[in-house]
Amino acid sequence: MSSSHQPEQGHHPTFMQYVLVAAILFIITIVEFFAIFPNPDLIGAAKIPVLAILSAIKFAIVIMFYMHLKYDHRMFTMFFLAGLALAFIVGIALLSMLTALDGSPRAFASANAIPYVEGDHKVEHAEPAAVPIPTVPPLVTTPTESVAPDVADTTAPKSVEEPAGGSGAAVSIEIGTEGDALKFSEAALSAASGSSVTVTFNNGSAVNQHNWVLVQNGTKDAVATDGTGAGPGADWIKPGDDRVVASSKLLNPGESEAVTFTAPAAGTYQFVCTFPGHNFTMFGDFTVN
Amino acid sequence: MAHAAEHAIEETTTGLNHRKMLMWIFLGSDCMFFAALVATYMVYRGQSITGPYPIDIIDVPITTISTFVLLCSSFAMVQALSATNRDDQRGIRIWLLATAILGAIFIGFQIFEFNTFKNEGLSLGTNLFGATFFTLTGFHGAHVTIGIIWLLGMFVVAMKGRLGPASSLDVEIVALYWHFVDIVWIIIFTLLYLIAGFDTGPAALPGG
Repeated sequence: MSSSHQPEQGHHPTFMQYVLVAAILFIITIVEFFAIFPNPDLIGAAKIPVLAILSAIKFAIVIMFYMHLKYDHRMFTMFFLAGLALAFIVGIALLSMLTALDGSPRAFASANAIPYVEGDHKVEHAEPAAVPIPTVPPLVTTPTESVAPDVADTTAPKSVEEPAGGSGAAVSIEIGTEGDALKFSEAALSAASGSSVTVTFNNGSAVNQHNWVLVQNGTKDAVATDGTGAGPGADWIKPGDDRVVASSKLLNPGESEAVTFTAPAAGTYQFVCTFPGHNFTMFGDFTVN
Repeated sequence: MAHAAEHAIEETTTGLNHRKMLMWIFLGSDCMFFAALVATYMVYRGQSITGPYPIDIIDVPITTISTFVLLCSSFAMVQALSATNRDDQRGIRIWLLATAILGAIFIGFQIFEFNTFKNEGLSLGTNLFGATFFTLTGFHGAHVTIGIIWLLGMFVVAMKGRLGPASSLDVEIVALYWHFVDIVWIIIFTLLYLIAGFDTGPAALPGG
């Protein structure tokens, strides 16, 4: 074993060549650093290809000279490059499966997700993948999440309450989600001022939590931003937010809740899901006549 | 059959040393291991819905320094192998120890970084960024730590004067492992720090 290595010695780089290799690695790293710091946009869109190429050069230099592949038997190179090629395939497969199909992020993953409900581990094993949305019936009960005490709503499970003030007729409205998309099934709702409105919100998503929050016109994003600060324990709604007219709790996938409130003064309002990030696509107009 | 020719070649089916081949096959498979973790990071890049986000806590200058430390350790490693082949006992000990110490400094930087991140509110369970970041860099750190232990073991052997040209392959194999850890860091540093280190919140899309 020992003597076999001797014939290669003459082919190993010299001390000065190692120093040169180290210097090249250092210089490339310095160039990379100043390409993005202190201004990360210094080279704009060229950033990713430039950094990728520079890193690939460093990678190649290390395996060729420090790891002696340039001087060693070609079979070692083949073994390593085979692993490296498979590694690339692993990466490309994961990325294309989970981000790039359909052009929208995680479309494949969302479409094939197994429903997960916090606190109910039976469901995730029992339900096969890719079930159409409105199944998962056992969950249409009260939400399991704790609710902040001062969320200003009056809720009742699945029933339409009689109007308390009696100043208008009872209106019953159903609204859901567009599958796993971050959208409500309705873009516009309406009711007469003073009527007792019961909005039943069915979270039809198999993967996402949602809520339904009625807010003053033009405040949906501000309410959602403040809600993000309040956190999931407060159902992503700032406690005592006076822009909120009515709201559901944060519903797990498959859950539903009926929210009853008296329609406010005539005008336009907005409804929105305040789960962080959802407010940009998941909203609609609520018109009070 | 000429005995002289056989003397220079390993008596294996491939004519190559099997321990060295095993290390190269292991490194090839370890590429796939890290590729899965890197791809997972990239899949979840920009998908975190709560902070801290990379731009809040990633410190590119500090990590550039630790990257230099790891590059230096690779240089020390090739010197250790070179000294082994020359039977330079003092050189073997100095360079092996230097490699291990530089690796330990790199780990020190990583412990400092992890601790800083924890204090700023990022843990493994905070968000997708935390989960994928700590998993990837943590596994790399574990590889470095194993390398340090291996190097220190070799250093003990060297102190007993038992390393030399005859055991060149033993040093070469640990060197292959150590350089591999270095090239994995080259990839992680570029992707997680230089490219993704300035990512902001949920609005940041992959590729930006």
